[in-house]
Parts: sequence; C-alpha cells; structure tokens
Amino acid sequence: MTAPVPAPDATTDTIAAIATALGEAGVSVIRISGPQAFDIADRVFACKGEPPSQRSAGTFVFGHVVEGQTTIDQALCLIMRAPHSYTGENVVELQGHGGHQCAKRILRCCLEAGARLAQPGEFTQRSFLNGRMDLVQAEAVLDLIHARSARAAAAAMDQLDGQLSVQLHQLYDRLIATAADIEATLDFPEDELPETVMPALIERLQESRAQCEALLDTWDEGHLLRDGAVVVISGKPNVGKSTLLNGLLGRDRAIVSDTPGTTRDTIEEDLVIDGIPIRLIDTAGLRITDCEIEQIGIARTRNQMARADLHIHLIDASDPSDTEEVDRLLTNQSTKLLVIANKVDLIEASEKPPAEFSISATQDTDIKRVKRYISKKLSAQIDLHSRPHATISERHRDLLHKADSEIREVLSMLSTSSEDLVPLASSRMRDVLDYLGQVTGRTYHDELLNNIFSRFCIGK
Amino acid sequence: MSSHPFQYDVLVVGAGHAGYEAALAAARMGMRTGLLTMDRQAIGRMSCNPSIGGMAKSHIVCELDALGGELARNADFTGIQFRTLNTRKGPAVQAHRLQSEKAAFPTRVQAVIAGQSNIHIIEATAGNLHLEHGKLKGIITEDGSTILSRTVVIATGTFLGGKIHIGDRTIEGGRLGEMGAYQLSQTFQQLGFRMGRLKTGTPPRLHRESIDYHKTDRQPGVEPPPVFSRAAKRDLALFHVEQSGFRDRDERPPASPGPAMFHVEHLGTPLKPWLPGDRQIECYLTHTTEKTHEIIEANLARSAMYGGMIEGTGVRYCPSIEDKIVKFRDKPGHHVFIEPEGRDCIEIYPNGTSNSLPEEVQVEMIRSIPGLERAVFLKPGYAIEYDYLDPTQLYHSLESKVIEYLFMAGQINGTTGYEEAAGQGFIAGVNAAMKLRGQTPLLIDRHEGYLGVLIDDLVTKGTDEPYRMFTSRAEHRLILRQDNAPFRLLEKARAIGILTEAELSEIDHMQLRIGREIQRLKTTYENGNSLAQILRRPGMAYRGLPNRDGSLTATEIEQIEIDLKYEGYIEREHTQINKSSQLDRVRIPAQLDYDEITALRYESREKLKRILPENLGQASRISGVNPSDIAILSVWIKRLKG
Repeated sequence: MTAPVPAPDATTDTIAAIATALGEAGVSVIRISGPQAFDIADRVFACKGEPPSQRSAGTFVFGHVVEGQTTIDQALCLIMRAPHSYTGENVVELQGHGGHQCAKRILRCCLEAGARLAQPGEFTQRSFLNGRMDLVQAEAVLDLIHARSARAAAAAMDQLDGQLSVQLHQLYDRLIATAADIEATLDFPEDELPETVMPALIERLQESRAQCEALLDTWDEGHLLRDGAVVVISGKPNVGKSTLLNGLLGRDRAIVSDTPGTTRDTIEEDLVIDGIPIRLIDTAGLRITDCEIEQIGIARTRNQMARADLHIHLIDASDPSDTEEVDRLLTNQSTKLLVIANKVDLIEASEKPPAEFSISATQDTDIKRVKRYISKKLSAQIDLHSRPHATISERHRDLLHKADSEIREVLSMLSTSSEDLVPLASSRMRDVLDYLGQVTGRTYHDELLNNIFSRFCIGK
Repeated sequence: MSSHPFQYDVLVVGAGHAGYEAALAAARMGMRTGLLTMDRQAIGRMSCNPSIGGMAKSHIVCELDALGGELARNADFTGIQFRTLNTRKGPAVQAHRLQSEKAAFPTRVQAVIAGQSNIHIIEATAGNLHLEHGKLKGIITEDGSTILSRTVVIATGTFLGGKIHIGDRTIEGGRLGEMGAYQLSQTFQQLGFRMGRLKTGTPPRLHRESIDYHKTDRQPGVEPPPVFSRAAKRDLALFHVEQSGFRDRDERPPASPGPAMFHVEHLGTPLKPWLPGDRQIECYLTHTTEKTHEIIEANLARSAMYGGMIEGTGVRYCPSIEDKIVKFRDKPGHHVFIEPEGRDCIEIYPNGTSNSLPEEVQVEMIRSIPGLERAVFLKPGYAIEYDYLDPTQLYHSLESKVIEYLFMAGQINGTTGYEEAAGQGFIAGVNAAMKLRGQTPLLIDRHEGYLGVLIDDLVTKGTDEPYRMFTSRAEHRLILRQDNAPFRLLEKARAIGILTEAELSEIDHMQLRIGREIQRLKTTYENGNSLAQILRRPGMAYRGLPNRDGSLTATEIEQIEIDLKYEGYIEREHTQINKSSQLDRVRIPAQLDYDEITALRYESREKLKRILPENLGQASRISGVNPSDIAILSVWIKRLKG
C-alpha cells in the first residue's frame, strides 16, 4: 500500500507555515494549527493583558513576536478555536510586517516553540480529515489558489461552496437507491416486489447517465479555466512568430532576430485575455534541418500543435511559396486552426495571401485584432455570459467517464430479457458506486488521498 | 486426562440448530462435549417452518456441508419437497429450498447425536455462568448443580427471556408450551453485557383435512431433487446405478468398496428414513383477500405487535401479515403457501400468515383466505420476544470479548433463521475446540463464504433487528455460489479436520479434473475457435461441445460451465478482492488508545472503542466510521509501527 500523505504524526502535532506568498509584501501571515497552537502562540507572542491562549475565539490582539528577549516583529495575533477554524483545529494566525526574512524568522520561532513545518497541502488535508470539507471542496481550494482569472476563481469558489459536491452527492444517492433496487430483484421473490421495479430503475439509470454527462460537459470549460487554453504559434523560421508572441504579451520575451531558427526550443508564457487564462506557446520554426537540437525542437512543436486549443499558423505574406504547410494543416486540422499572414506591410495591398486575415505583427492595432480573435474563438467553449459555475476536474472526469460507461453497460444488461445478467449488472453497479465515491471521498482510498493532497503548496 | 478437573472440554447450552451443530463439531474434533437442554426430545426441533434453504440461506447450508456440518444432510435425508429458486437469474443467486418432515428432522438429529462418540446430553436449565475470579469454569444450572467445562457455547435461541404474545395474552416461554430461560438472562445483565430485545413470529397451524385444495394452485417439487449435501448426491447416484445399471448424470460413487446395495438397504432408519426426493409431496398456493386485509386493519390495535405489547424489533424481511398489510396497502393480495409439515402429519403450515393477533381474530382472518374457509386451528400463531446480546461484543471466532472461553451462537447474536443459527453454531463449536488445542481460530473472510459475511457483519456492525442472510450482503456474489462451496472452502475444511481424508481427496481430485478440462477446452480448437469460446456462447452447454470428456460428473461439468461462462466477471471480483483486502491486511495494534486520537470524531471514536476492529478493513465497515477516520487511523498505525 502506498504511504498516505499525512506525515507520521499528522493530526496530533501542531503545524506551522508561512501562508502568504514569498517576496515583498505589506503583510505576511504565519498560520499555526493543532492542539498546541495556543501554547506556541503564548511562547512566541507577547501582548498586553491576557496571553493568546486565554483569549476568546474570533478575536485578535496587537503585540510583538519575540525570540527570548529579542523582538522580531510587530504583529496581530488572530485566535480561532476548534472546530470553528479552517482546519477544524485550534488555529492561530500571526500577521507580521511583510518581507520574507521577517516571516521566516517568525516561522522559525514557532518551530522552535514546538510546531512542525507543515507539508504541502497539510492545512487543507486536516480540514478534510476533520470533516470540514469533502474532497471536491478541498480540490476547490487548490483551484482557488491557482486561479489565473477572475472567472476561474469564481468557479472554484462555487465548488468550494459545495455546488459541485451537492450534484455529485445527489447522483451518488440516486445510484445507491438504484443499486439497492437491483439487489432487491435478486434477493426477493418476484411476486413480493412491485411490478414497476425494473422499469423504474431503468428510468433512474437513464437520468443518472444524463446527470453524469451534464457533469462531464462542464469539463471543457473547467479545463480552460484551470489549465488555461493552449494557444500554439507555428510557422516557418523567421516568419515572425516571436514578434507576435512579444506583441501579445506586451513585452520582449523571445529573442527576435533576422536569423532563421533563433527560437529552437518552445517558449511558454501565460497571459489572460478577456478573463480566459491562456498558455501561449511559441514553437521552433518548422523546417528541414540537420541540426539535432533544432530537430528536437521541431518534434516538440508538432507535439504542441496536437494538444492546442487554438493553433495559430503564421505565413509570410511576402513569400508566395509559403503555403505547403498550410495545405498540409488544412487537410487534417480542424476548427482550431487559424492561419494568419504576417508581414503584410511588405506586399502590395492588392495581393491577397491565403489566410483568414493578414497582419503586421509589429503593429499594435493588428495585435489587438489577433487578441479579439483569440478571445472569440476560445469563448465559444465557455459561455462567458453565464454565471461562473463549478466544473469538474481531470480527476473527476476520469472517474465520471468510468462510472458513465459502467452505467451504460448496466443499462444494456437490464434492457435484455435474460435475467441471468442481473447479478452481473449488480456487480457493475458496485463499481459505479466505487468510482463516484472516489470523486467525493466517500470511498476510502489511500492512494487517492495521496494523489489529491500532494498537489497542494505549503501553507494550505 | 483422567485427572482433569473438568467434566467437559466444550459445554453447549441449548440444542437447537446452533446448539447441535456446535456440539457435533466439537465432538467430531475429539472434544468431550456436553449438550445441555431442557428436554432431550426437543433437540433439533423446528420451531417455525419445517423448511431449509431459500435465497442466500441455501448458500450457508452448502458451506456447512463443505466444512463438515450436519444441517445439509439432515435436511436432505428428511426432505419431502425439493425446489430451486431463482433458476432464471444465473448460478450466483440460485438457491435450493426444501421442506423437511417436521417429525423426522429432530429424530434424525437425535439419532446422529446418539451415534456420535464424545457427546453427553444433560437435561437441565442453565442459570448462571460458573466464574472463579472472573474466569469461566462452567455453568451452574437453575437447580444449583455445577457443570465444569473448559469452554461454554451459549445457543439459547428464543428461550433467553422468552415471552410469547397472542394478541393481548402474554405467556412466559421459549416456544409455545415450553419454558424459557430467565435466570440466565439476568446473569448476562449482571455481568454487564449490552443486551436488547428482538421479536419473531410464527403462523397458526391448521388441520390438513380442513382445507379445500381445489381452490388453491398446486406447487409440486422438482425432479430430480436438488439436494444440498454431497452425501445425498452420492446416495442418489448409487440409487441410479442400482435402478438403471448405468451412471448417467450424477456423482461417481465413492472409491470405497462395500456392497453396492449398502445405502438402499439402510433406508427406513432414522438416519435415512427414505431416499432423498422419494415420494415428494405437493404444496399449495393461495392468497389473502380484501376481506383478510379488512379484518387485520380492524384489529390492528389488538395485535401484540401493533398494540404496543412488544418492545422487541421484528424481522423486516420476513414480515408478519400485519406488517405486510400496513406497509404494502396497495397490494390487493399476498401469497399464502399451504405447506404440509410431513407425510403423516396432520399439521399444515400456512406460510405467509405469521401474526400476533388474538386467537379469534386469527380464525376469522385465516378463513377469509380461499381454500381455508373451513380451516380448523391446531395451534394459534404467535409472536415471541427474546433477549439477544449485542454481537459486537464478540470476536470473529464468536468468542466473547467480555469473558474468555465463552462462545455465543445463533439467535442470541441477533440472527433469525435455522441456517444462520446452524452456521454460527458450527463455527463456535469448531473454535472452542481450536482454542483448547491452541490452534488459530477458524476465520472465514467475506470473500470466502457467506458464513464469513454473516459473522463479520454481526461482530462489526451489530444488529438492531433480526439479521437474516441475503446475497446482497456479500460483496462478491459471483464467487460465493452454493455450487462451488466444497471447492472454495476445501482448505478450511482440511484445517478443521472433520471431513475424512477420502472426502477431502475426492474434492481435491474433482478440482484437479475441472482445472485440467478447462485448460484443455482453452487450448483445443474447432474451426478456429477454442472449445472454451464455443462453450461461452449463450445457450451453449458442455454436453453440446464436440470432443468432450465423457468421464466428467455432473458436478464437474457444472463447475466448468460456470467458470468459463463467467470468467470475466469472476476475474473482476478477484481484482476487487485484492484491492479491498489491502485494508484488511493492515492490523490495528491491540494497544492502540483511541482516546489519544483527538482528530477522530466523537461518534467514530466511541464506536471504534466499543467494537475494537482487528484491522483497517473491518474498521472501514463499521457504520458511522467514514473514510477520513480511516485515513487518520492509518496514519496512527504507521506511527505505532515506527
């Protein structure tokens, strides 16, 4: 059995970590959680009147973080008592002046006073273990931290509020009831059961499938919000890909030169256009070359193109021969392809390159046009006018897919007249429940927990 | 041994289905066994329906036969009607059900005990445990004599604090006309056992000649009779040899020499009153009417069950007729099976009319059923309330966690049904013997047998209503079939040692032949398809295969067919077992102090402290203990183990 994430003494000792981001800031927060949180606070924090441990929950007090006789920082000390805290344990937060060095010294004091440095995700894990949130909500915390746009954050918040959990629990409960009915047809003589049992449960299974699929449908949007849309720029060497990238980013990220093959490796950068987080990938130019490094780069480019949500292929408007790749792409590429002719400033206005539109990547107005286009193209996959709502993650999608295809099997088994398939259908129903249970954490799996919590950063 | 201060190694209190199985198992394992009963004539009596098997219960009967229990043989050899239920739903949920001759069944049990060395019957009522400094030394009877025994198995059934209800009339008793055990009930209370009350019921008995059979549907038995035990299968096969001169579809006769007429010659004895399935009787089917329902509705307040006279919880799955009417008001009629209790018995058991109404209401109610208009009552139906001990106070071996060397089996653990009782009795008897021998107890996992599911459910979850077996209680239904019980339990049977070497090697041999034939079918081709593939086709049977092995027995062929046709699903279940038993393999150290684990929710902590699960898998099955609790426990265990 794989070791679960919790540290060997998790849930019994007191953990501490810096909860705010590294770097310079106005305030930094050190979070302490566990049975000794107040004792530790008493030791490291000096204030007028009663020490932190004697103060009531939901209050805060101004004072100093001290190490022996030395004052390290001024700080606010916030008191939260179990179970009414993020982790469900006693929690103290020390808000000191910003500055990483300062925060690190406060943390060190806490550790010396008996706390243990928290592992990544351990605060949230404790929250889960103490029943403060289910697995889906815990994952929302992660999404919230990583949210790269307001819409992504709103969707994560929706999930943290339990919106997705409610739907999943409903689905689970409906399927439990259905499974129970299938079992009943096996364990009771037919004449003791209402005749409508079978048709009713088939109907419920169909409803469950519909619900499953509706949840699965939220994935596209969820995936775009969580992972960002992948936009790949390709084209021949020296066609101006890096210029376009720099233009879209609004800064000089890639080296631009007249020498073909300047960009050998892919360059990845994040940006947000109209609330959609985007991962922009500038690829090595596609050409036949003997250079091994460049060949690797080109292979990678082909890879990137395959997984792109939007693929921008740049051609040189001034070079009429630059159509080979377009033809190739057009034959096997879908709606995700956008061909843009660059260097339109170098040709006569009457000439029309074989592209959806023409730009000069050095022109701000043209960059804006490209941005508008990207936004339009991607928002086809997200209804930006709808209220942000919780969406399923990759992990959920995987499990829901499995559950969905098992339900399909069960349905086809129950729809035949051979009753000897019913015991087999009931066996499959147990798998369905197992998959769904794994989504919300209603089924216990060591690996699953491991999987989910190891993705957290320290302090959460 | 002669200087041994104890009279017995194993003393069994109660001689119902749990009691005689416990006593026989212990005696067959060489233990000096005492069987304490109020009345030796009542040993093995069938208090309710003289029927054995049925859905999921038949699985237990077959498992008992595979391990060396008596129930299967006893039912088969006294059977007067044999049926198979759920035939259309595949082998996993198929179940045999037979009716025994009510008088022959206990007579046979008594004859088996009489012929078994090491068993001594004591007629008395147990009153107290004999404890010295808290250590169990035996039993003190109600009349004050002491019986010394190294271990004690309690199997008191409905007799522990038994109270009979017929309408508003209440009688003390363990069965109609028999006394209950009341002092013993107080003893358990004083010793601090957690106890509760349960209720079960039985229908009235009617005079056979007073029924108008023309108004009912005939329910004949099945030919050839589907029997439970390997012994009965062997006898049937022998009989076929004698009758027809060739062996066609059943068991090979045992390798032992001896005269071929052996079994036939011995028919007519209490052990084998007739050939199983010989002269099967018919049952009859009728139904309740609107009028029946009106009568019951009008008298609900006078029913012991609904009038508030009974505090115990009733059997949800084997409901009284009052229950059925109240809970399924929409249903215009409920089945009533008219079951003769024996060939020469005048009593009829109207299955489906269990109730606790006043006698005069029962008469009116029964007479509203087609065919029963002039029914004559021999005994009224009644409900019986009795004490049970919370089974979470037991280990999986059925030994008490409270008092060492004390074992519990049957209704005292909250179950209902002869089969459930007999299964526990057998396990308790075996484990009492194992304990005295210093051997590890016989434990059956949930994926090894329904007996394992039964005991794990009881000791892990407890029960607050009479517990009966269902196939849905098992996680791995396709592996736990009644047909493969001898094979899946072979190693357990070997460890117990009740089955003879010859019996064990016969099963070994069959298993070998089955495996070899499956291998051959998978590697022999016919027009590009393996014989196994051909056999897997819907509707295809082994006998339809080209190039088949004519020497295989019906049992072997059945296993081959099921193993191949359900191979994919059986493999799936094996994968699931491997996955789930990971948690079962994590033992919870005995020294674990749940109070130290503050992160556990209060409710979980209390439950874990009470049940003291032996491993994480068992902990995860406790209701109210949720996955996060298991995660916390898992962390602690890893820490304790360093």
